[in-house]
Amino acid sequence: MNFWETITGNDLTREWKAFEVRAQALPADHRAAWEQIKAHLFPYGDFTGRNLMPIMDGALGLLEQTAADGQSIDEVLGDDVQGFCAALAGGEGARTYRDRWRRQLNRNVARKLHRLGG
Amino acid sequence: MDDLTEMLKGTLEGCVLHIIGSEETYGYAITRRLNELGFADVVEGTVYTILLRLERNGFVQVTKRPSGVGPPRKFYALNDAGREELATFWAKWEYITARINKLREGGE
Repeated sequence: MNFWETITGNDLTREWKAFEVRAQALPADHRAAWEQIKAHLFPYGDFTGRNLMPIMDGALGLLEQTAADGQSIDEVLGDDVQGFCAALAGGEGARTYRDRWRRQLNRNVARKLHRLGG
Repeated sequence: MDDLTEMLKGTLEGCVLHIIGSEETYGYAITRRLNELGFADVVEGTVYTILLRLERNGFVQVTKRPSGVGPPRKFYALNDAGREELATFWAKWEYITARINKLREGGE
């Protein structure tokens, strides 16, 4: 990754396109799962979403492999896509939006309490 | 038996380590093995996240091989750190089962 790509996010756009091309080749229910996985993984993204790229690549790889095996999406992911995504992103120690919101909330509450003389 | 997942969670990683320890294998085969054992709730996604964790922690050696159909498969084998981790898992398992059995039998 060079400086220009870091600034513009060019490389990300290109990677996304490559992901989508790969996703197009999946059978319908696997593709639907891909959409779900994307939605569930976004909250784990950092500012640029760059940290998600290897995770997305891995998830897509799993879908491709299992589709090639002829496994149904139910066999692959069960009914807990959200849990799957959390486990996928979890080990990375990725700072999430939720953490940020929580911190913001805590700060605001602390400030208000302080103003009240609490 | 349904709803084993919660209880199984902490030990599933050890189970996967053990399966990989007996022979080099891949995600789909590991899932099937666990299903055969009676862990019907375990799906490939679960195993996949465990495999990722094992890989990240440096317990396994990963080899990519062509699969005939579709993209190449990732085969997993234990390295030295993995074998050590597996031994630790069984030691912990012994400890827990011994304590819990004792509790059940009303020992001290």
